[in-house]
Amino acid sequence: MFADIINMVFKMELKEKLQILADSAKYDASCSSSGNSYTSKKGLGSTSYSGICHSFASDGRCISLLKILMTNCCIFDCKYCINRRSNNIKRAIFTPEEICAITLNFYRRNYIEGLFLSSGIIKNPDYTMELIIETISLLRYKYKFNGYIHAKAIPGASVALLNKLGKLVTRLSANIELPTSTSLKLLAPDKNSEQVTKIMGYIKEHQSKYFAPAGESTQLIVGASNESDYVLLHKSSSMYEKYALKRVFYSAYIPVNQDKLLPSLKIPPLKRENRLYQADWLLRYYNFKVDDLLSEEYPNFNLLIDPKADYALRHLEEFPKEINTASYYDLLKVPGIGVTSAKRIIKSRKYFKITFNDLKKMGIVLKRAKYFITCNSKYCLAPSLFKKDFIESNLILENKTPTNSNFKQLSIFHE
Amino acid sequence: MNRVYLYSDTFLNLLSLVIFLNAQNITPSNIKPENYTATLFEETINLKITPSKNLLPKFYQKAPSIFKIMYYVYLSSHPNKELIIYYFYLNFLKYHNKVINMRNISWVNDALKIAKYVSHEAHKLKGFIRFTELEKHVLYAQMEPTNNIITIVSAHFKKRLPNEYWLIHDTKRNIISVYDQKDFYLLDATNLQLNLKTTSHTYEDLWCTFYDTIGIKERKNNRCRLNFMPKKYWKNIIEMRNNHAQSNK
Ligand code: SF4
Repeated sequence: MFADIINMVFKMELKEKLQILADSAKYDASCSSSGNSYTSKKGLGSTSYSGICHSFASDGRCISLLKILMTNCCIFDCKYCINRRSNNIKRAIFTPEEICAITLNFYRRNYIEGLFLSSGIIKNPDYTMELIIETISLLRYKYKFNGYIHAKAIPGASVALLNKLGKLVTRLSANIELPTSTSLKLLAPDKNSEQVTKIMGYIKEHQSKYFAPAGESTQLIVGASNESDYVLLHKSSSMYEKYALKRVFYSAYIPVNQDKLLPSLKIPPLKRENRLYQADWLLRYYNFKVDDLLSEEYPNFNLLIDPKADYALRHLEEFPKEINTASYYDLLKVPGIGVTSAKRIIKSRKYFKITFNDLKKMGIVLKRAKYFITCNSKYCLAPSLFKKDFIESNLILENKTPTNSNFKQLSIFHE
Repeated sequence: MNRVYLYSDTFLNLLSLVIFLNAQNITPSNIKPENYTATLFEETINLKITPSKNLLPKFYQKAPSIFKIMYYVYLSSHPNKELIIYYFYLNFLKYHNKVINMRNISWVNDALKIAKYVSHEAHKLKGFIRFTELEKHVLYAQMEPTNNIITIVSAHFKKRLPNEYWLIHDTKRNIISVYDQKDFYLLDATNLQLNLKTTSHTYEDLWCTFYDTIGIKERKNNRCRLNFMPKKYWKNIIEMRNNHAQSNK
């Protein structure tokens, strides 16, 4: 077989392979971006997938899955990808048994929750899918592995194979990568967006307890093409609706290649990626709409202030909110008050009138919230300070002083 | 004289004592384990209450979330944990299950905070525990948690690795949890002698290779990593051992 021949020709230590194939999977722009339960009968593992992080990489990202490519050989030439055909890099390919051995041994030692398997396209899409299916079948049937498995569907592979793969994995994903088909055509000339949306539609239709039980996710690359945040967010919000996605991942483009079609970035747009995650969160859990946050006239997020504070500052007439009477969704609009805090406030105020002191005791951080709330009609600062300029400059200043809460856990490795 | 009530150190005994004191309307100035040395102004009293046999299951059935909070506070290393449990229970009698919303009462607030901290640490360690393989396929892990969370993590690994033999060793408290493919047992590890050798380190090496490869240097963020994976755990996290050794130099 083709893969075996490659393995024979390029004889390589397992360690070196792992190095190459983990390295080529770590950039999300490479076919590799990234819960529910397989209960443990006989066999290895349970996936009470409560988001256990086993380690944190030097970049602070949570590691919960063994994230690798089956192979980094690829017949495609996506401009943004380190594994593209035209790059001169070391190539390797795992055998299915090798992947099983590493996964099982890592799992028993409690290094990982499971496997995240993707692949460059070797020979053709169907052949690549078959290799992935063979590997995961071995894990599930021969080795009785019940842990979490997330696989990437290969665009262009047949529906029959997609169906087979869906029944084996916990989560299945297909990456849309770029928000418009124009930029996809430009930067990923071998892919077409229809293939990807077809897969996404198929997964949505078939998703069940037996087919990708943890659902579906997709990824958008940020900063490789020139769409605004407004366009990106509209794209995700429509995909959430259309395909009932569990997550849309945003991945700051890391300049691994030089190409005249790519922006000449020196550093990845991490802040922008962070803003998109924050906004995505507001859309899914805080009842915000894309058009509350951005518009044609205001198409990109303020990099100095997070989207929620930005909204509050631009709608100061809605504030301050009274802690003892504001509705749940109104509380959620207050910068610094999240879902847990809002719920806690609603429950507690049934029993006593909440004061600023109580809020502190309840573990609610007032640093940012204090500008936007009253407790029993009292404002925390001198009422004359309730002014846009004053609040804005304070919020920006505070962002500059590092606190732990400035870090958002990037959970690209799991789910 | 301040009256300090003593209990022999199990959750069952503590709970029995707390219930008894409350029933008798006794307000203790403190509650401490038996090995406690009293100060000059304290008088110790050991009531040696025989706990009723099914107190724990009964209490658990009646109020599972309250039970869990008190149990987790007991597992903590908070110096005042017994008194906090006593007053939390007192407020439970007054407000029933609604007590968990009464964060304006400091005893209640303290209990909730401590319980959260303990469950948080247990959750972290479910991820950070690292097994090495010994002879006869036995898995062995060491940990030094701040709180006494060995029971919580053992229950987790019973589900996660049901068909293995494993040992989890709390080297700080010197207790070891032994799992025999059916259930786990907690034993005193003071005189523990492990006669099993470690087997090959192939997969440990592979894991460290994976770990070193996966970080993206353009995104390097050590503060963020430290925040999620505090240094105090590094000693027992195999992929951090080199970093750990370096930072101790
Ligand atoms: S298909 Fe494109 S993104 Fe995927 S590995 Fe190949 S070149 Fe990279």
